[in-house]
Formats: sequence, structure tokens, C-alpha cells
Amino acid sequence: MPANQTAPPQREIIHLDMDCFYAAIEVRDRPELKGKPVGVGGSRDRRGVLTTCNYEAREFGVHSAMPTFMALRRCPRLIVLPTRFDVYRRESGVVRAILHQFSPLVEPLSLDEAYIDVTAHPDAPAAIAQEMRDRIFDATKLTASAGIAPNKLLAKIASDVNKPDGQFEIKTADVANFMAQLPVRKLWGIGRVTEEKLQRLGVATCGELQKFSRAELHEMFGKWGGELFDLCRGIDARPVEPERERKSLSNEETFVTDLNTLRECEDKLPELFEELMAELAQKEPTRRITKIFVKLKFADFTRTTVERAGLDPTLANFCALLSDGFARTGKPVRLLGLGVRFAEMQPEETQLALL
Amino acid sequence: MKFSVTKERLLDGLQQVQNVVSTRTTLPILSNVLLQARGNEVFLTTTDLDVGVRGSFEANVEKEGATTLPARRLFTIIRELPSSEISVEVDGKNAASIRSGQSFFKILGLPEEEFPPLPKFEGAKTVTIPQKDLRDGLRKTSYAISTDETRYVLNGLLFSFKENKLTLVATDGRRLAMVDIEVEFPRSHEAEIIVPTKAVTELQRLLTDDGDVKLSVGSGQIAFDLNNTLLVSKLIEGNYPNYRQVIPSEAKERVTLERETFLNSLRRVSLLASDKSNSIKLNFAKNNIDITANTPEVGEAKESLPVAYKGRDFSIAFNPEFLMAPLRNLAEDEVFLDLIDEMSPGVLKIQTPFLYVLMPMRISS
Repeated sequence: MPANQTAPPQREIIHLDMDCFYAAIEVRDRPELKGKPVGVGGSRDRRGVLTTCNYEAREFGVHSAMPTFMALRRCPRLIVLPTRFDVYRRESGVVRAILHQFSPLVEPLSLDEAYIDVTAHPDAPAAIAQEMRDRIFDATKLTASAGIAPNKLLAKIASDVNKPDGQFEIKTADVANFMAQLPVRKLWGIGRVTEEKLQRLGVATCGELQKFSRAELHEMFGKWGGELFDLCRGIDARPVEPERERKSLSNEETFVTDLNTLRECEDKLPELFEELMAELAQKEPTRRITKIFVKLKFADFTRTTVERAGLDPTLANFCALLSDGFARTGKPVRLLGLGVRFAEMQPEETQLALL
Repeated sequence: MKFSVTKERLLDGLQQVQNVVSTRTTLPILSNVLLQARGNEVFLTTTDLDVGVRGSFEANVEKEGATTLPARRLFTIIRELPSSEISVEVDGKNAASIRSGQSFFKILGLPEEEFPPLPKFEGAKTVTIPQKDLRDGLRKTSYAISTDETRYVLNGLLFSFKENKLTLVATDGRRLAMVDIEVEFPRSHEAEIIVPTKAVTELQRLLTDDGDVKLSVGSGQIAFDLNNTLLVSKLIEGNYPNYRQVIPSEAKERVTLERETFLNSLRRVSLLASDKSNSIKLNFAKNNIDITANTPEVGEAKESLPVAYKGRDFSIAFNPEFLMAPLRNLAEDEVFLDLIDEMSPGVLKIQTPFLYVLMPMRISS
């Protein structure tokens, strides 16, 4: 390498993933549940889905995002508990504070998952991950798994390797070998449909996918094909981005058949509202809300938004906004959305960590 | 057991040991002080099983013996007694009769045998230091000990014996205070131990500016022998983080500051630091530092401090409490502040081997 050219600094990224976070908290707080299959989420009669479940439940083929009635069919002894987001948020805050002891570059993906860039930390990244997990356990009695790698893609894959309560490091020198063996399904963005498509081409592992040129992948998968070319080689330059300020949060649904009456629209509101509230509790539990709004798209693709300052986000308030918006045209509705806007945050000041 | 003593001596003796007594203990005996009358002395011992203290006072011992009595109750009674002459007599059932002037108290104790003995330090490695040096070192460092229980090993002060130096280190992960004390000991005595906060606090109360203190390091425990008082403590088990690596090896800018002037300015400006973010800014310009703070919707403060400074203009933010703590605990007239840039740790130094490393606050908008 010429002397004037230096390689970009080798990054050290940790993906930290709490082990069945919500279920683990419930079992910790109710020791009598220990060893029993436990799920957390909506109940059966209200068409609920499980937010998460513990390993005992997973043995029965139960998994998160599974409708509760189906989970109960697979595991009739499953104990389904309602979510307690205030508790999960509090524990998540404890975990996040511990992560910040190691680096200011913490990117939370949800309450139970985060990327941490520890390149600037003098200790070896695997030792840091171990220390993080020890401190988390000491403080919360909850276990976490960690993946350590030179980028986010690999770190996330690695955190799954020794889950639960374990960690795994992919060193730069091992990336090529690791990727060659890796099933393509483990890559970010590859779902069942793409997996089947690749299988028809005789591709099951990333190593096999690497045989295609960037141009070929681009042709098969469009713009994403180019990304796939990098992903299957374990290349991922995305930086770890600490929390960014969100200006609003909304939830919307496009309906298969248009809604013709206000009553039909109102019937859709409770579910949209519940989901918005859950997301709000999870993503922005502390922000001050300045406005709420209802968005309508009509069958002719025109749209309108009704927005009010100073109203609390309640179902009744959203209902009132909806009836205002519906009255503006009276046309059949193809999309309905609810949302809130936040007050601007104060500039954030954080004490940097020394050790 | 029977002895008589002046109120002053008895109170002094109790005051030395009573802090260790735990207020909420499941073991009743740990609320008690052990009294042992021997020769012309009465020995007092308290312990919470982690930390123990033994002191003594001179007394007219008429009958030797031992018992244990509720420490806080005994202290409050003695403090209120009307006369300066006090006599204490304990019967075979550990009931103590306390007489002073016209007052009579009878309090019930527990047998001596129930009191847990302080650990033995036979064959321990010993190092002797002037009390004044250790007292000074503790004062310069102990305020930086972590109170965060999730960081157990930081809930104490590191005593590092190496190359004829005792290095004391305290950190809470955001700032770090360190002091070196010259002291002689054989190579075989080199060790790194972590003394828990409670023992450090007690030690600071007991140390004076005269005489020596003898440290005995046994396995998992330490004793501090101060002539007539003995403090023993369990050590914190675990590895203290590698503190050397966080001490910057270079400094880009150095300013010399009058300690009190700087402290007073910080104290005033920090009145307008917001509770939530709690930061103040040091804005460096040619021969001047502007110290500023502001709280949205409340107001702001600014104070200028003339200094000899020729470096580039820049601003760095600190938690004012963290910046003021060492300034309060130093006695020197002059301090040096070494800085690199707004994201790197600042270092506060004096003429003698001491340093305080402080991480700045990141202000993002």
C-alpha cells in the first residue's frame, strides 16, 4: 500500500440483543412462571398476536408475531400475559444507560436491541461485550446475547449464534469463511420469497450467491441486487447512528375494499389506535405531543389531513378528527392513518464516558 | 465488669466506633458495641461484618470483664448525662447499670461470646505510612468513587503498591482522581487492592495529621492500625479497570488557574446550569476563558476569567460538579488544566503527583 494511503480504521461493532426480553422480565418478576411456556401479547379473543415468548414456549413451535390463538393451539399450556410496556421501557432504560458507559455511539433498534460502535474503546470488543452483558445481568437479572464484528450486518448475524446468554465474534480474517457457509436466509432483507427464488437458482449459501456478478444480481433483483452483492460478502458500511429526533409518528392502513361510510371508517379506528399507542410507548415514551392528526386518502387518490394542536391522543379525539375529514368530501376511503407530532427536543447533552 | 470514666473520654471512644454500626441489621448483635475492660483501659469494638473498628479509652477499671451493649442507645444516653463522672457496672446477665450524678440507667446487653471477632492479620504484609500523607491522599481522591451499584469494583478506592509508591485511584467511569504517595516497602509487598467506600469514609474520620498508620494486607481483607484505633475491612473482589489507559499522554493546551478564583466562578455560573443537562461551557480565547451556562426558559450566566492562553479558540463542556469537586478538595493555590480538544478528557494537575481526568460532555444540537 502506498505510504500516503491509509486503510479506513477497522470498526468494532457490537449488536446486543436481550434474550426474549418481555417474557424474561415477566418470568423474573413472577418466579412461579420459571420453566413454564410464557408468551406476552394480545389475548386470543381479541385477535391478538404474541409480542414475544420464552424458550420454553419456542420448543412448541411458538414464536413472536404469531397470532395468540395459533400459539395456544400449538401449546395449550402457554401462559399468555398482557404487555407491561412501562416496565419494559424502564428496564430498557437501565440497559441503554449501561451501553452508554462504553460508547456514545449507541443505536437502539427497539427496546431490546441495539448496535454499539466501540471502535474508540481501548479494550478488546469481545471483552467489552462480556462486560456489558455482566453489568446488564448484575443490574437487571436479565441475560443478553451479543455479536461482535467489523460491521452491523455481521454483528447482528453473530448475536444469534450463541443465543441465549452467549456471544460470538466474527473477526475480519474470518469473514470470508463465515460468509461462505452462511445460509442466504440469514441476510437482512431475504425473506421466504427471495429464498425460494434463489433456491431455484441453486443458491442456498452466501458463498454460492457470491458467484453472481453485481450486474447479474442487479438484473435479477433490481437496485437491491447491488446491495445483495455486498451483503453476501459480509460488506456493510452503514454507520452506527445514535438516536435521531423523530418529528412525528403515525400508523396507517390501505384497505382492500374502499370504506364507503363514516361508520365503516370508525370501525377501523380502534385497531389503528391501539397499534399507534403501542408504537408510541415503545419508540417515544417521553416526548411531548403537540398535535394529533388523521389522514385520509380517497378512492380517486386525492387526500386530506385533519390536524389539531393541544388535543390528547385519545380514541375519541381521533374519532372527531376522522368525522371532520370524512365530511370534507364524502368520497370512499382507501387509506386511513392516525398520527401524532412531537415538540422539538432540547439539544441533547451527554456526559462522555472515560472507562 | 465495672469501671468509672469521665463523660468526655467515654463519648470520644464511642464516637470513634459508632459509625460502623449498621442501623438496619438482621443480626441484633451487630447493633451492639463490644466493651472489654482490661488493666486501665476499656476497648470498644463495632462491626457490620464488612468493616470493623476497635478503639479504647483510659478508665478506672475496678473489675475486669466484657459485654456488648446497644451502641446508639448507649451513645445517646451518655451524651445526655448530667455529670462529668460516669460509672458503668455490668452484672452476670449483661445488664449494665449506668450512674452519673442523680441519674441511673439500666440497659440490657448481649453476651460477649455472640460478638463476631475481628479477623486476624497474622503473617499479613505490612506497610507503614505517615497518617498525614494517607489522609491527604484520601481527601484528594475519595470524592470520585462511584456510587453506581452496577459497577461494583468502582465502589471503592484502589490502593496500588508498586515500586515504592502507593497509588490511590478513584473513578466513577466519567472522571478519575489519582494520587501517588512515596513509601518504602519490599518488592514482595507489591499488590493492588480495592478498599470499599465505607472503610474509606471511616478511615478519613479516624486519620489525624500526627503519627503513622500501619497497613496490613491479608487475603481478602485489610487492617489500618492507627496507634490506638484499628480499622479492618473486607476488600472488594474483582479487577479494577485499566485506569492508566484513560490518562492522556499529551496535552495540546495548558492553562494555569488560581484554584479559588476558578472555583468561585464555576460555583456562580453553575447556578444557571440546567438541572436536566447540567453542563457549563469553558470558551477559550486569547488570554481569556468565558465560563457560560444557560437553562432554556430560565436564563443564562457568564463570567470571564483572564488567563495566559495563546492556543486556538474552542469551547468544551463539563459537568460543573465534576469540575468543582477536585478544586474543593485541593489546598494548592495554583492548578493546571490540560486540554486536547472538546471531545477528549481534560486533566487537572498540581505541582505534586496528583491528577484528575475528566471527560467532557457532548453537546449535540
